[in-house]
Amino acid sequence: MNALAQSGVGRAFTTPLGLFSGGYILILLVVALTAPWITPFDVTIQDLANSNAAPGWPHLMGTDEFGRDVLSRVMYGARTSLSVSATAIGFSMIVGMALGAAAGYFGGLFERAVMTVVDLTWSFPDILIALMLVAIIGPGLSSTMFAIAVAYLAQFTRLTRAQIVQLKRETFIEATINLGATPAHILSRHLLPNAVAPVIVVGMLAIGDGIILEATLGFFGLGAQPPTPSWGAMMSSGTAQLFLAPWVIIFPGLVVAVTVIAINLFGDALIRALDIRERLRGT
Amino acid sequence: MRTMTKAFLSGSALLSAGLFMTSLPSAAMAQEATFALPAGELGATSYNPVTSSNLNSATSLIYDRLIEQDADQSFHPHLATSWQESPDGMTWEFKLHPGVKFHDGEPFNAETIAAWIPTFAGTENAFMVEAIDKVVVVDPLTIKFVMKRPEPNMLYNLASSFMGVPSPKSYKALGKDYGVTTAVGTGPFKLESFSIGLETVLVRNDDYAWDSDLSVNQGAAKIAKITFREIPDQSTAFLELKTGGVDVLLGVPTDFLSIIKSEKAATIITMPGTGINYMPINTSVAPFTDIKVRQATALAINQKAILDSVYAGVGQEAHNFLISSLPESQVKPGLDVSFDLAKANALLDEAGWKRADDGVRAKDGQPLKVKLFTQNDTEFKRLTQVVQAQLKDIGMDAEITVLDSSTIRDEYKKNNHQLAVRGYDWNNADILDWFFSGARLGYPNISMWKDAKSDELNKTAMTNSKTSAERIANFRTYHEYLLSQFLFVPIYQPATNIAFNPKTVSVPEKVRGPRFRSQTIMDMQVLQ
Amino acid sequence: MIIKYTLQRLLMLIPVSLSISVVIFLVVHLLPGDPIDNLMRVGSSPEDRLAMTVKYGLDRTLVEQYLLWIRSILSGDFGEAIVLRRPVSALIWQNLPYSLTLGALAFAFSSIVGMIAGTVSAVAKNPVVEQVVKAFILLGSTVPSFWLALLMILLFSVTLGWFPVSGAKTWTALVLPVLTIGFGGIALVARVTRVALVEIARQDFVTLLHAKGLSRSTILFRHLLPHAFLPVVTILALRIGWILGGAVTVEFVFGRPGLGSLLIRALGQRDYPVVQGCLLMLALAVMLGTLIGDVAQAALDPRVREATT
Repeated sequence: MNALAQSGVGRAFTTPLGLFSGGYILILLVVALTAPWITPFDVTIQDLANSNAAPGWPHLMGTDEFGRDVLSRVMYGARTSLSVSATAIGFSMIVGMALGAAAGYFGGLFERAVMTVVDLTWSFPDILIALMLVAIIGPGLSSTMFAIAVAYLAQFTRLTRAQIVQLKRETFIEATINLGATPAHILSRHLLPNAVAPVIVVGMLAIGDGIILEATLGFFGLGAQPPTPSWGAMMSSGTAQLFLAPWVIIFPGLVVAVTVIAINLFGDALIRALDIRERLRGT
Repeated sequence: MRTMTKAFLSGSALLSAGLFMTSLPSAAMAQEATFALPAGELGATSYNPVTSSNLNSATSLIYDRLIEQDADQSFHPHLATSWQESPDGMTWEFKLHPGVKFHDGEPFNAETIAAWIPTFAGTENAFMVEAIDKVVVVDPLTIKFVMKRPEPNMLYNLASSFMGVPSPKSYKALGKDYGVTTAVGTGPFKLESFSIGLETVLVRNDDYAWDSDLSVNQGAAKIAKITFREIPDQSTAFLELKTGGVDVLLGVPTDFLSIIKSEKAATIITMPGTGINYMPINTSVAPFTDIKVRQATALAINQKAILDSVYAGVGQEAHNFLISSLPESQVKPGLDVSFDLAKANALLDEAGWKRADDGVRAKDGQPLKVKLFTQNDTEFKRLTQVVQAQLKDIGMDAEITVLDSSTIRDEYKKNNHQLAVRGYDWNNADILDWFFSGARLGYPNISMWKDAKSDELNKTAMTNSKTSAERIANFRTYHEYLLSQFLFVPIYQPATNIAFNPKTVSVPEKVRGPRFRSQTIMDMQVLQ
Repeated sequence: MIIKYTLQRLLMLIPVSLSISVVIFLVVHLLPGDPIDNLMRVGSSPEDRLAMTVKYGLDRTLVEQYLLWIRSILSGDFGEAIVLRRPVSALIWQNLPYSLTLGALAFAFSSIVGMIAGTVSAVAKNPVVEQVVKAFILLGSTVPSFWLALLMILLFSVTLGWFPVSGAKTWTALVLPVLTIGFGGIALVARVTRVALVEIARQDFVTLLHAKGLSRSTILFRHLLPHAFLPVVTILALRIGWILGGAVTVEFVFGRPGLGSLLIRALGQRDYPVVQGCLLMLALAVMLGTLIGDVAQAALDPRVREATT
């Protein structure tokens, strides 16, 4: 299964769009991982004499209201935004798969209870869920992650459950059940491995949504605490900047848009490469 | 052909001019203006001044008050033409303006006041009239308050928008709905419609002839119809002004000042604000239990640099806790808090906090690392980041946490805070009692300040002052003592900024009243 | 049969809504801070504060407060807002029309554009066309809505002067908010439409139609598209919460009232009855929406009925 996924990932790079988007994501990942060492300027030190400078040399994307280098902050912001979104979605995926698998496998009242809750969270606007949760836990990166995780939990639970219900009907599983294998064994050895690929692809697409949700929370002033840069916090650092020093919020906005599109295109390429379009139906 | 058009045009111009001449009031009806309410005044759900805890600027146009206050904090007659306080402070007598009528046709007189004051009982605003024991009608235009205790703050309370006088008849008839569908005062404008969260439309009260001396205009308003709009997003409000959707922005956030200044379609009026931005210090937790550390923190903040960089030079530096138009803010020299980096560093050295290699000070192996709270708002986030950088210069590592206003109060009450950057908006010295009284630890007493001498001075100022002069002296002493203890760092006195479209409206050069309210709007005009 | 199924589901709603009400109540009371501090003005005394706490019943036990809340729901007014000073039901009724208009129009916009886009990408044999459609669909969901909203105002209101910048009094003021939200929803509808069409196209009856010599467009418009409506309607039912409360950012930027904004304002002020009332109302709408969707499906597909009864 792993080998198959890997070869699938490899194959996703073979189309031009897959190569372009995948390459962009890889570069972004490298930037995010090495940001503290490779940014041209310090991301928090203020230089008030040099605030709101237009893009040029040496500040390629200009400076913000505190004279901080926007390019450096966008690079460092990749680290914050990607890690927040990816961690949150990863967490959400794991919990969602566990819930969905259990619901799909055991069925009955348990399934109904889980699915009622899940449908309810799915039907609630993600921003409302996130704002409520952040209000309860308090702002900050960890609560932002938690909020994103909860907001997207439903998606993974529904998808996993649908997969499991479908797989359960297949003959080889029925045979295993008849042979008296334990539910844990069947789930972990037979059902989940077969359900995992679509969930991972959907998870990857959700990372894009997570970045946008983080940005929207930033718009409401929640999320990353200043002076830590995140794309969301940068885009919302006072919309007055849009008229005064548009580069301060245009560049992070562009990077968010390009990143989300790249993630979607690469996700598409993956879906094709893994040939799992069929299994993504009904989500 | 061309001449014909011209003749036709001038003919029609004559025609309309003729119409204008014959029916002057109705032609002036075209005078309409749209105001955008400032961010802090959004979300009012009622124009009931007695029970509301949130009123906006439109309230000051629907209702008149007995007394008005000017920008220099002096008091001026309005519905009360004169007043007399007994030397012991136990009675107040007010002469009322004759011939005043409510929008519903009811007369305004002493009976009105006698019916109105008791309606405060049991509401959140009851404290404003709490010192009044009895209201006595002396004659139809004279009213006397018999006091439970002297209340030197009486005039201030009466000038508040919560003390706009509603028509007792409508107030009683409408009950809970009063203020939502109908609000009836004696003011220069009548409430025409109110869509909660969206807009309030006011139309001119043509009978109005009882203006205060704060406006030049002594008759009905010049603008016939005002729409107050609620626009939560500041950039949207700015764009409305730019595109002509709004004529006046009643509050311009400081980060928009420079952009509006460069805008041809807008003129900015800057008037002194009524508040202070400051940094309370929690005196109950280490390291701020040490007064030397508190003083060092206070001396680390460079008010001038903040005024210039964060506020583009608009507003004033703050060096004590009160706005400078209040007499109580004139404290003994030497007590004002001003930036002195060298002294701040020396104080910390003295207190045993030594600089480590990374620039952060430490004592007994503990780094000088503190929590710095701020509220969820663009301006405060900017200000706090500069404060954070300034604290770094004395070797203090402050970590910012942004909290919403309800959560932050909860943290104060749990005593989870050390430093916070915040602001208040209040033009009276009793704000000192609010933030430093030992009876309000946590919130509002964020400094967690409890001290016998302080509470003694507080009591004297709050309840043992008989006259206004005595009250001023007592509050000044109290203020001076609080300053000597370094319970907070004064930072900035915000200015109130009003932006308007000079092509559509004219605004008098001198803004009267502590805020941009009815007194100034009475002298505004819509340009054709 | 379908009536029995519907009744059964309706009955189920009672215990579910009760448990949801408990959860909502607890969540709201878990929020740090309380509404009283938002009422107290400078000059009021600590005793006044205490009196207000008693006045609004916040000194009572949580169980008592919960029961009082339930009673106010049964009496229909959802209680009295503490900070906002109005019956909660009145506040909801004031904001509901704004949310419904905006939500419904935005959904209609995403449905129409999304169905067209989905159909084109399902029918298109050309991968370039498919990618172009895909990129267009994606655009709406790759930028945060506050960002899109501001840029749209700059373009359509400031530069071109076509629509008012903000407000909710005129129909023209609805255009930009509808576009902003609707744009973000296209992707979902397009995906569902595409999947539905591809699936139906494989079914035997379509092959039969082809065999009968009907033209491709006749098959598409007369036989395939009607089938694609069902999944879109199902989404509508499931997304009712988004339609009613999902426009917070857009309401904020365009200065529109709405349920989302009411909820967020009340949340900030810890106005418990309002937050609870809005959440419960949204939850009920969501559950009813799901139920209608399920019943519709059950009515069309007997297997669902069998499986759930």
